[in-house]
Amino acid sequence: MKRVLTVLFATGFIVATLAGVSAAAYAVAGLAEKYLFPGASRLSNIIFLMLVFVMIIATLLTLAERKWSALMQDRVGPNRARIDLPGLRNRSLAGIPHILTDVLKMLTKEDFIPGTANRFLFKLGPILAFAPVFALFAVVPAGPSVTVFGHHVDMVVATPDFGVLYLLAIASLAVYGTALAGWSSNNKFALLGGVRASSQMISYEVALGLSLVGLFMAFSSLQLPALVGDLGLAGAQATGQAQYLWRTDGAFDLGIPAWGFILQPIGFIGFFAASFAETKRAPFDVPEGESEIIGYFVEYSGMKFGMFMISEFVEVVVLAGVTTALFFGGHHLPVGNEWLANQPLMQEHGWLYGTILGTVFWVKVVFLIWVQLVIRWTFPRFRYDQIQTLGWKILLPLGLVNVFVTGALVLWDPSLRALAVVGMLEIGVVVVLTMTKKAEAAEGGAHGAHGAHGHDHGHDAHGLPSHASAASTH
Amino acid sequence: MADSHTFDAKGHNPDTDGSLPPEGSELEAHLQSKHMVINMGPSHPATHGTVRLKVELDGETIVKIDPEIGFLHRGFQKSCENVTWTQCLPYTDRLNYLSAMMNNFGFLNAVEKLIGLEIPERAQYIRVIGSELHRLTDHLTCVGATGLEMGGFAPFLYGMEARELIQDRVTELTGARLTTSFGRVGGINRDLPEGWADKVHKTLTRTEELLVEMDGLLTRNRIFVDRTKNTGVISAEDAIDYGWTGPALRACGIDHDLRKAHPYWVYERFNFSVAVGEHGDNYDRYLVRMEEMRQSISIIRQALETIPAGPIIVDDWRIALPPKPEVYGTIEGVMAHFKLVMEGIQVPPGECYDATEASNGELGWYLVSDGRGRPYKVHVRAPGFPVLAAVPHIIEGKMLADLIPTFDTINMIGGEVEQ
Repeated sequence: MKRVLTVLFATGFIVATLAGVSAAAYAVAGLAEKYLFPGASRLSNIIFLMLVFVMIIATLLTLAERKWSALMQDRVGPNRARIDLPGLRNRSLAGIPHILTDVLKMLTKEDFIPGTANRFLFKLGPILAFAPVFALFAVVPAGPSVTVFGHHVDMVVATPDFGVLYLLAIASLAVYGTALAGWSSNNKFALLGGVRASSQMISYEVALGLSLVGLFMAFSSLQLPALVGDLGLAGAQATGQAQYLWRTDGAFDLGIPAWGFILQPIGFIGFFAASFAETKRAPFDVPEGESEIIGYFVEYSGMKFGMFMISEFVEVVVLAGVTTALFFGGHHLPVGNEWLANQPLMQEHGWLYGTILGTVFWVKVVFLIWVQLVIRWTFPRFRYDQIQTLGWKILLPLGLVNVFVTGALVLWDPSLRALAVVGMLEIGVVVVLTMTKKAEAAEGGAHGAHGAHGHDHGHDAHGLPSHASAASTH
Repeated sequence: MADSHTFDAKGHNPDTDGSLPPEGSELEAHLQSKHMVINMGPSHPATHGTVRLKVELDGETIVKIDPEIGFLHRGFQKSCENVTWTQCLPYTDRLNYLSAMMNNFGFLNAVEKLIGLEIPERAQYIRVIGSELHRLTDHLTCVGATGLEMGGFAPFLYGMEARELIQDRVTELTGARLTTSFGRVGGINRDLPEGWADKVHKTLTRTEELLVEMDGLLTRNRIFVDRTKNTGVISAEDAIDYGWTGPALRACGIDHDLRKAHPYWVYERFNFSVAVGEHGDNYDRYLVRMEEMRQSISIIRQALETIPAGPIIVDDWRIALPPKPEVYGTIEGVMAHFKLVMEGIQVPPGECYDATEASNGELGWYLVSDGRGRPYKVHVRAPGFPVLAAVPHIIEGKMLADLIPTFDTINMIGGEVEQ
C-alpha cells in the first residue's frame, strides 16, 4: 500500500511539475513577445524546450532508469547518497542526490587522453555525438499555438518546411561522433565499436525514413506542426492528427482520432524499432556490447564519457517527443479537444489552454520514455549480423510494402477511413500473433524435442532402464 | 575489413602480395588489410575468473583463438603434498569456488576409496544434499551470467537472489558461504542444524519461482534464442574426443551422468532424470542446466524427506576425531586426537582414481599415497579443462559475438582449470 501511494504521489508530482514548467514556458514566451521584438518567443522556447524540458528530463532519466530497472529486478536501487544536513541526513530522497554525485564525479575525474590517440578528433567525438541529438528537438511542437498577453505564441523552436527531413538529416550526423570516437581512440575495441555503430546507424536510417513515408502521404505534409494538426474550430476543417475519423455529434466530441499509430501501425513499429537502433540502447547496444568489446567510448573518461552517456538519454527523450508528435497526436487529447477549446475559460486564458495541452504532450512523452525503459531492461542484446538482418530484411521490406499500401488506400479514400480500418486490422493481427506465440512455440518446442525435456519421462521409473543401459556402455 | 580475404581477378592475395606495386592506375590499388589481434582478458567482463583469449579477427569473424590459462595458478597439487589429507580440504574449496562442497566431497570420497571406507548413511545423505545445493548455485550463476553477458541484466539478478538464499542455507549448514571446507574423511563434521530442512524447503520453493521468472525471460525470448541456437555447436563425437563431461556433454545428446552411470553415495535411491540435449549448441546447454536445477531441487526434497537418523561420521578414531568428552576425559581420546591432528590420517599406500559428478562434469581425483599421512600426489581432473580446450574448435570461423554465449554456457571456472 505504501508503495502504491508513493508511486501515485510521484506520478502526481511529475504531472504537476510538467504543468508548472509548461505554464512558465507559455508565460515567458508571451512576455518575451510583449516586451522584446516579435518572434522573441522562439528564443525563449529554445531555453524552455531544449534546456529545461529535454535536459532536465534526460538528467532525471539517469536516475529513473536505475530506479525502474531496480524495480524490475527486485532491487532497491540507488539510495545511498545522502545530504549531510539536519533533517536530510537520514533520507535517501528517492535517490536524487545520486544525480549530483554523478555530475560531481564526472566533472572532477581525470580527463585522460591516450597518448596514441588523435587528440583533435578524440575531443571532437563527444561534441559531435551530443550536439546533433540536442538540436533534434527544435522542430518538435510541444504545445498548441495560443494567444498570451495579446500575442501569438507557438510552443516550438522552428517550423521549417522540410520539418521531418531536418530530423532525419540531423539524426544521421550523430554517427560522426561515434565513428570518430571509435577511430580516434586508437584502441581496437573502440574501433570495433565505432565500426559497428556506424554500420548499424547508417543501415537503420533507410528503414527510419521509409517508415515515415506513409504518414507523410496520409497528411500531405513534412512539417511537424502540420502533422500534429489544428482543430476544426469555427467551421474550419480539422487537419492532421487533430481530425476525427469517426465522431459523435454533440457538444462533447467523442470519436476515434486520426492518430498516426492507428493509421500507420507498421510505420510506427518500424519507426520505433529503427530509432531505437539509432539510440544504440539495448537490445541494439551492439556498439557498446560491454561484455564483448566494451564499447566505442572505452578510452573516454570524465565528462567526455558523460557527454556520450547524456546524449544517449537525450536521444531517449527526443525519440519519445518525436514519436508523440508523429504517431500519438502530439499535444491533442484523444477525445474532447474541441469541447475543451470551446470553453469560454480556455478562450479567455490562452496560457491555461496551452498549459493543459502542453502537459498532455509531456505526459505522453514520459509514457513513451517509460516504454523505452521497459524494453531496455527486458531484452538481451542482438548479435551484430542479426541487427543487420532485422534492418535490411524485415524492416525495409515492411516499410516498402507499407508505402505502397498506404499510397493506394489514401488515393482510394482521402478521408483516411480505409487506411484506419486497415491499420486497426494490422494492430489486431499483431496482437493476435503476440498472444498466440506461446502455444505455437510450445508445439514447436515439443516437435523438435528440443533439449532438456527429451528425458522428462525419466520422472517415473520407466526412464531408469535407459540410464542403466547408458551406464553399461560407459 | 570484411573483404580482406577476397582475391582479385589476377589471383593476387592482398594479404601476401601487399608489398608489390599495384598494377594499373591508383584506382585499382587494393587496400591492404590484415587481421586484427585483440586480447580479451585477462581482465575482461566476459572471461569468468581470469583467462586470456587471444583472438585474431577478420572483421567480426574469429580466425583464430588461443585461450591462455595460468593467471589463477596457485600450485594446488604441490600444496597438497605438504599437508595432511584433512588439510587438503580448504585447498579443494578454491578449485570450483562456485560449488565448493562438491569439490570437498569428491576429494573425501576419493580418499575414502583409497582407505576402503564406507561412510554412515546419514553422512551420505548430507553429502547428496550439499552437493545438489551447490549444483544449484553453480548453475544459477552460469545461467544468470549467460543472460547478463548477452545484455539481459534481470535474469542474472533473479539468479543471484536464488543463489543468495541457497548461500544462506549453506552458511547455516557449513558455517561459510563459499569456501565451505565441509565434511571430513569418514563422514561429515557437523549435522544438519535444527529446523534447517524447513528452511531449505522454503528456499527451494522460492528458487523454483525464480527459475520460472528466468525461464520466462530467456527460454522463449526471440533474441536470446537467436543468439544461442546453432551457436557454439559441437558434435557428440568431438565432445567425447575432447573429453567433455557433464551438462556440456549431455547437451550433445550423450546420456552420461555419473550419478546414474556409477551411482555413489545414495543417489540410486532418488527418483530423478538426467537432462539430455540434442544439438550440442548453446541453447541446449542452457536448457540442460535449467532442467538439472529442477532435478536437483527434486533430489534435495526427496533426500530431506527420507534422511535417516544415525551417526554422521565413522566411529574409528584413526580416521575421525574422537568426541570432545573423550578427548578431555580419557587418555585414549587425547592420544587419538593428538595423532590425528599432528600426523594426519594414515592412508594406506596405494593409488586410486575416483570421480563424482560435479556441476560442470566429471570431477576426477587421482590420488597416490605412500602411507606417510600426507598425499604423495593429488591430481584433479577438472571438468573445465577439456571444455576450455575445445573452445578454439567450436568458435573459429564464427563471429566474435558468438564467443560470449559459448564461453558462458560451457562454464569454464578459472579456479579448477588452473589449480
